[in-house]
Amino acid sequence: MATATATATVAAASAARTGKEPGIKPRGWIGFLFIAPNLLGVIAFTLTPLISVIVLAFTDWNLVSGLGGITFTGVDNFVAIARDPGFWNAVGLTMVYVGLSVPLTVVLGLALGIALNRPLPGRAALRAIFFLPYIVNVVAIGMTWLMLMNPTAGLVNQVLGAFGLEPAWFASSHWALPALIVMVWGGVGYCSLIYLSALQDAPRQLYEAADIDGAGAWAKFRVITWPSLLPTTIFLAVTLIIGASQGFGLIALITAGGPGDSTTTISYYMYQTGFQFYRFGYASAIGLVTFAGVLILTLLTWRAQRGRALND
Amino acid sequence: MRRKRFSRREVLAGIGAAAAAVAVPACTGGGARSSVLQVWGGVPAASGPAAVVEAFQKKFPQYEVNYTRFVNDARGNLKLDTALQGGLDIDVYFTYTQASMALRAGSGLAADLTDRIKQDPQLQPFLDTVEPRAYIDNGKVKALASAREPAFVLFNEKLRQRAGVELPRQWTIDDYRATARKLTRDDTIGAYTIPDVARIALGPNYWYDGDRSNFGEPHFVQGFRLGQEMIAEGSAFPWTEVLSRHLDAYQQNSFLGEEFHLWPTAPFNLRYLYDAKKYPHDFKVSFAPPPTVDGKDWNGGSYSNFVMINPNSPKSDAAWEFVKFWLTEGSAPMLRAGKLPTLGNVTDDQVITGMLGKEPGKFFDVESFRRVVLDADPKLATDTRLTAFPEISLAVKQQRDLCWLGELDPGAAIREVRRLADAAIDRDERSS
Repeated sequence: MATATATATVAAASAARTGKEPGIKPRGWIGFLFIAPNLLGVIAFTLTPLISVIVLAFTDWNLVSGLGGITFTGVDNFVAIARDPGFWNAVGLTMVYVGLSVPLTVVLGLALGIALNRPLPGRAALRAIFFLPYIVNVVAIGMTWLMLMNPTAGLVNQVLGAFGLEPAWFASSHWALPALIVMVWGGVGYCSLIYLSALQDAPRQLYEAADIDGAGAWAKFRVITWPSLLPTTIFLAVTLIIGASQGFGLIALITAGGPGDSTTTISYYMYQTGFQFYRFGYASAIGLVTFAGVLILTLLTWRAQRGRALND
Repeated sequence: MRRKRFSRREVLAGIGAAAAAVAVPACTGGGARSSVLQVWGGVPAASGPAAVVEAFQKKFPQYEVNYTRFVNDARGNLKLDTALQGGLDIDVYFTYTQASMALRAGSGLAADLTDRIKQDPQLQPFLDTVEPRAYIDNGKVKALASAREPAFVLFNEKLRQRAGVELPRQWTIDDYRATARKLTRDDTIGAYTIPDVARIALGPNYWYDGDRSNFGEPHFVQGFRLGQEMIAEGSAFPWTEVLSRHLDAYQQNSFLGEEFHLWPTAPFNLRYLYDAKKYPHDFKVSFAPPPTVDGKDWNGGSYSNFVMINPNSPKSDAAWEFVKFWLTEGSAPMLRAGKLPTLGNVTDDQVITGMLGKEPGKFFDVESFRRVVLDADPKLATDTRLTAFPEISLAVKQQRDLCWLGELDPGAAIREVRRLADAAIDRDERSS
């Protein structure tokens, strides 16, 4: 009797530990049945294109020639990329675009987040208004900015004209990229909202202690706020770097990579190579190289900030 | 009652069957081919193709035709290419750009029509290799031009008369510039842009010289310089406006809005000028031929709108009947889309009412239209060399933009085009 009770106790303990009902054989495949719709989607729309790109990167293929027209060329595409001035120009422009737009978005988002964290009248409405651009269609944003930044009739230049400044914006190879960078305002609202939630989690007792010690606003920001926001900043930096490296919609809509090749970033160059020149093998190789570059950049960002957060 | 338990094998077989049911039609592009003749073209059905299809079905009641429109831009052409490659049920399709045609014809997506053409006396012009109206690949006819697209220069007749400028019957590129200057006022600009100077001087295949590009030829710099100078002096539309307003795609709006007087264009843009409801305006339009360049008089236009038959079509006889009908007796409805038939098998009156609307005299100077479009025999240049065509097109456009924005000297711009074009030709010929 005692033995039977002990056995039951062990079985119950085992069941509690493993989550399995004693005496019922595990049937893992049932789980696959439940995730099958999603799994099929992932296989069809994520894994298959991913594997296709990896394979195509080692080929010469123009799509129109069909599967029979695929010629394996080994690492030729990667050698050609290394020698391609167009690719390196696109890399340089992408780095400028990412290097300026990401810090700008983060800084403005942080400033806006701190401002919206204060007890302002109509704070909830203001938060919604600043977040709105993030959910507006990229085409609407592009067309609006195209009109605002028209060199002769646009509102922006009518204001700047009072100061003797009238850049040609998207119709100038010098101003087109800065004009695209200015359009980060769409992402600022998103950043501010993320920062806002992080600010509300900031340790109150540290602020109270700092107040007792007579710390000023800048000292509190430097010693308490910024370190507590570091994990959020890293998250935003990583996601924004990835997003900006893939930036395509506004460029395709507004400048089509021009004037000249002044806004041909790596994503647009890849599109041009694949869908305008029908060099799908080469475009796939550019895609792989870009993926590797963004991955390295992301890891470096992650690693550089590791261990510096207040909460770590 | 005991519920039936499915075995693992049964469940997996069920999933497999369901996946196959979804995947197989997707792979074959929609399953079995229908008996309906499938035709893909870039012109909206209502602008002519629907009427051609209707006339064809009336004459051949045994055939049913379905016309699908694709937008003739990069995305639309990609859609057609993937559909063709994916085995979608397409029997007849149109190709509008030389680069797409070379890819499609060179990749086995165009049936060889040589024998069918040789057997038909009225289609013999398509065998002409001096002034080609077909895409002939290694002696095999793969595509047939369904339209002539001569270039001409349109005048805003009201503004021309106000400026006291004579309507040119024959003029040089210098006359063109002088006329644009005369027409320029505070409120309007003389010309939208300039005709393609190098094309007028050099004719077909003007980008190529043997196995290199031809951009060392001085007419290319001449064209870039002329455009830059006219923009700088204000007699041609400022390129900053063209780029920032995307005017390339909406030139008609500025012409109708009287922002400029001279419009070098082609027949397909006439459709905006007789539609008073959609495009209201109160002036007539008159026609002048393209200017000559250094005594050379290639028109600058070409044969275009190539029709091709999918070699995988199981309805090739029906497809051929349809293509032949479109090129011959059925071509009149396409006039309203500005498509002059290649074989010229329409009357002058049909062309006038087809291309200039129901009241031709209301919006056009019909006499100048007759002279420039109907009675002239322009030298149309059709390119047959197409190596690295898309890359060279982009290089020309990019450097022209920089030059006409005033950021780059014409000589430096053309040198860059030449470098890019030579590199693209070299790479293409190495890989082929």
